[in-house]
Amino acid sequence: MRSTLVIFRRELAAYFNSPIAYIFIIVFLVLNAGLYMTPFFLQGQADMRSFFTNLPLFMIFFIPAISMRLWAEDKRSGTFELLMTLPIRSADVMMGKYLAALVFYIVALAGTLPIPIMLNILGNPDLGAIFSGYIAALLLGALFLSVGIWVSGMVRDQITAFILGVICCSFFFFAGQDFISMTVDGWIVGLGSFLQSAFGLIPHYQSMQRGVLLLGDIGWFVGLTTVFLILNAYWLEGRKQG
Amino acid sequence: MIEVRGVSKRFGTTVALDGVSMSIERGSILGFLGPNGAGKSTAMKIITTFLAADSGEVLVDGLNVADKPLAVRKKIGYLPENLPLYHDMRVHEYLSFVGESRGLRGQGLRQRLDWVVESCGIAGVYKKTIRELSKGYKQRTGLAQALIHDPEILILDEPTSGLDPLQIIGIRELILDLGRSKTIIFSTHILQEVQPITDRVAIINEGRIIADGRIPDLKKKAMVNNRVFISFDQTPDNLAGELGQISGFEALIACDAAAAPERFELRGAFGKDLVGSVSSLARSRDWSLRELQESHYSLEDTFIALTKQAANSVAESGTEVQA
Repeated sequence: MRSTLVIFRRELAAYFNSPIAYIFIIVFLVLNAGLYMTPFFLQGQADMRSFFTNLPLFMIFFIPAISMRLWAEDKRSGTFELLMTLPIRSADVMMGKYLAALVFYIVALAGTLPIPIMLNILGNPDLGAIFSGYIAALLLGALFLSVGIWVSGMVRDQITAFILGVICCSFFFFAGQDFISMTVDGWIVGLGSFLQSAFGLIPHYQSMQRGVLLLGDIGWFVGLTTVFLILNAYWLEGRKQG
Repeated sequence: MIEVRGVSKRFGTTVALDGVSMSIERGSILGFLGPNGAGKSTAMKIITTFLAADSGEVLVDGLNVADKPLAVRKKIGYLPENLPLYHDMRVHEYLSFVGESRGLRGQGLRQRLDWVVESCGIAGVYKKTIRELSKGYKQRTGLAQALIHDPEILILDEPTSGLDPLQIIGIRELILDLGRSKTIIFSTHILQEVQPITDRVAIINEGRIIADGRIPDLKKKAMVNNRVFISFDQTPDNLAGELGQISGFEALIACDAAAAPERFELRGAFGKDLVGSVSSLARSRDWSLRELQESHYSLEDTFIALTKQAANSVAESGTEVQA
């Protein structure tokens, strides 16, 4: 636990030591808040629905950008060999890295908090829906990051990690879309619906975004996140066999 | 202290290690020699638990690296060939990070930091970002990282690569100094680096240990003949015929007929006193000798000879199988 904390602190410092982190946060905020604010004054509605609806599509690109460096950079620079010969279980090293990326994402997400504060001043928003929307955004980020760290471990190059991460996250996004699942069902009967119910992100995300926090939806996110972290831990042990 | 028993490792179809066995006693320094790609780094990665062997076992201080990797890692300080440095960190941040990950805290960490900074000579760059350091300082920071937890065992993969001669001497002295209290394995493909540090070497080639022991013993094993250099003011008549009478004579070769026509290399059977025979012959024939010098087998010659012997023995065993 203590060693996880040491790794976590270094990884978090690595994010904030590089100018890319600040560029990332600024772009993330400008795009999300900008896209939200443009129609806001026209519609005059005190809710954040459009913000949370757009978020998953952004995250397909933003999260792999956060996670791409997690292992790939260590493997390229040689520090991977240091990390794997420290007297720390490799799963603990992984958790330190994962939590650092998660905290970095939470910081970026917290940058959007002025929006609900503004809504509260201007009108009378449904704070419950906004709260559960943020929970959904957090769980979505946690899932995509676990996919991203797993992908980053398999490759040596950050760009490859980014592209593979985008592809994997898109899979979860598109598997949940009705038109995709219907098309796939047309090719192989039942496959599209199966993928949608097992891996489809949107149904679980949407209900939370509307203000309904169901244990099943939270469990889906947490469960799948755990699966990818375990896959990552297995890979860390398996790579020794070379 | 370290026992490697029949370790094999392959990457896909490439055999990196093929039944490697060796052992290092507590408190000794082992020079691990071999050409590039011979398997030195792979063997070190297996000892440090970074990689797992396909077969065979490695014991570090009695602990099997496959069963107790964390306990083994605590005992080992490891400097990989690719320096494991975080270029975005400052030297002191980096060393604190490694120290903390190895369980050092507070006063203990500070004392160790002071010690490694002093002994690795990095006080001048302590607050600098690692990216800005020269190759020599990067190497020393890497070494400091391996020493931070005062390990019993040091595994150094090419610790002097890319350094200038003065820096090499510095690292050499540090290794010698550390060797008084620690068990050290260091690898190199540069033979001259080994002799000043230790005479205990293991030579690896194409994944097999072809020699393991003290340098003088290995030289004897490698020597197939004795060589003496002779030069004259004026080459005597019938030199080859006269020298051919010496017991153990094998060949007389002109070193360089154009530039030094009076210089020859005499080869004789191993174990015969060629210098004595030649000098008594010269006295009786009244030759005026300019040079009479036994040629010592250098580590290079030993290395090349042993590598050839190993290759031949593989070829021979191959034909036996065919027959």
